[in-house]
Amino acid sequence: MHPILTSRTRLLAYLILWVPLGGLLAGLAMMQGWSRLEAVALAVPMAVMGAGIYLSPFYLCKVVSVENQSHQNLFIIWGFAAIVDAGFWSGTAWGVARLLGRFDALHALPQKITPALPVLWSLGIVLYLASAAFYYLLIALQRAQKAEAEHLQLRMLAQEAELKALRAQLNPHFLFNSLNSISALTSVDSKRAREMCLLLSDFLRKSLGLGERRQVALREELDLVRAYLSIEQIRFGERLKVAWDIAPEAEAALVPTLLLQPLVENAIKHGISALPEGGVLRLQATIQKGTVTFTVDNPANRDAPLKPGLGLGLRQVRQRLWGRYPDRCRFESGYEEGRHRVVLTFPLETEP
Amino acid sequence: MSKDTFTALIVDDEELARGLVREHLQSHPEIVILAECANGFEAVKAASEQKPDLLFLDIQMPKLDGFEVLELISGPGPGGGAEWQPATVFITAFDQHAIKAFEAHAVDYLLKPFSEVRFEEALAKAKAKCIAGQFSVPRPSDLSAAARGSWPLERLVVRDGSKVTFISLDKLDYVQAQDDYVELKTEGRSYLKQQTLSSLENQLDPKRFLRVHRSFILPLDRLTRLEQGLTDSWTAILRDGTKLPVSRSGYAKLKELIG
Repeated sequence: MHPILTSRTRLLAYLILWVPLGGLLAGLAMMQGWSRLEAVALAVPMAVMGAGIYLSPFYLCKVVSVENQSHQNLFIIWGFAAIVDAGFWSGTAWGVARLLGRFDALHALPQKITPALPVLWSLGIVLYLASAAFYYLLIALQRAQKAEAEHLQLRMLAQEAELKALRAQLNPHFLFNSLNSISALTSVDSKRAREMCLLLSDFLRKSLGLGERRQVALREELDLVRAYLSIEQIRFGERLKVAWDIAPEAEAALVPTLLLQPLVENAIKHGISALPEGGVLRLQATIQKGTVTFTVDNPANRDAPLKPGLGLGLRQVRQRLWGRYPDRCRFESGYEEGRHRVVLTFPLETEP
Repeated sequence: MSKDTFTALIVDDEELARGLVREHLQSHPEIVILAECANGFEAVKAASEQKPDLLFLDIQMPKLDGFEVLELISGPGPGGGAEWQPATVFITAFDQHAIKAFEAHAVDYLLKPFSEVRFEEALAKAKAKCIAGQFSVPRPSDLSAAARGSWPLERLVVRDGSKVTFISLDKLDYVQAQDDYVELKTEGRSYLKQQTLSSLENQLDPKRFLRVHRSFILPLDRLTRLEQGLTDSWTAILRDGTKLPVSRSGYAKLKELIG
């Protein structure tokens, strides 16, 4: 489709462009000694005609690509097209002038147009080539935009795939250990065994349900985290204490689905479970000047040998955050005084 | 040798998981539970002091994992007898590398959650092993090497009595063979560990550590230069001035690595 004809604003801008061009034609004519009436009478239909004719190089631009043709071919094709098109334009000028000559006030037009024809023709050629260059530029821009859109589309698809993978990637170590806890509880405390069964199914259902969506309210993501931590608290007993500090206004903030859950799993796997005495896991969400800050802070033994997977889990979270909010987010991770801390900062968006 | 009672140690960092093993053992009056340990340090202390017959050992634990625990408690038996090791039943929830290691070395293990039947089976096997007094178990260091998979060794653990010391490989100056032991030199101190030099050599990254002699392994970054002695023999000079002999094959390997 023609890029100018498909958009109303572009068409309007294009037509407005022809007003000064028409003015230029009239000015040139008056410099040749034409009367104002004669100049305007011819310039107006010429501008209208030109606006129509000079839409056409676009189609030739589409067919004749700059990349595939030799310079010589380009020169011949465009030269020929420009001469023919401009010839047609100046030819119609001559016809219009003859028609207008029938009016008394414009009777001199047919004589005056003849010496002006070479000038009109050359002007037409220049206009034709300029518009061709303009269309080439437009096509290149369109192509770049399309590539960008495709890239975005691809990235979204990749993110969705990643999300699906995340959902499927239920931590087997966690699952089997939880089942083992249930197995242990059935004979000693059947009530708690049932409670743990329910917590585990609640967690599974929530994580399967969340995975269907690209983003969720922080409240929902934290519900999942809560279900997860209640199970881990049964497993770890006194070793796991959780301190929640979630600002009420942060609960509605939208977050990419399953972005925070891996951070908490990480804090358990590499923090609490690696310490015989365990400790306090702190979760904090605050809102300041339109940005959400989420902090996971856990005791950690820095000297413990690195377990496989620490870098990977955090890297995935960072990539997803960057993919979702390019240039508008921050990811910090580091050790300080026996604790490991991850801080995420991203723009506040809420459900409509 | 017939046995009426078996002493046992239960090692798991989760209280509920220990409880489950304890519960299964309740129907066996012949088993005496000596202690339950919540982490590797406790396990090493209890096992080296009390020398249990049976060991129920979780793999994933804070500080020291199950493999490191076994590595540290294996050694001369009660009264300085021959090689001693408790009959061990490994327990793990999900660890592909560990399972591969068990399969490769034909060691019995339990996967959490386990059935009573499966537990009884493992217990019977462990008891039989204990009675026969023969441990077909591989050297613990080999088992832990197999379980680590492609994850490189970062530290060595040594035990003196019930005190456990970690030696970071970055701080290891060199290693010298001493009969059945290796002597680890680090920061001006030396530690003895019951392991052969060859088995340690296999655990170390060959790009960082080189066995330059039948009795020596040195970290390549500690080496400053080589001195040629009389009769085609070479001496390695380390950063701190220590001189170590280099064998002919050690010299050839060095030349290949450093050029």
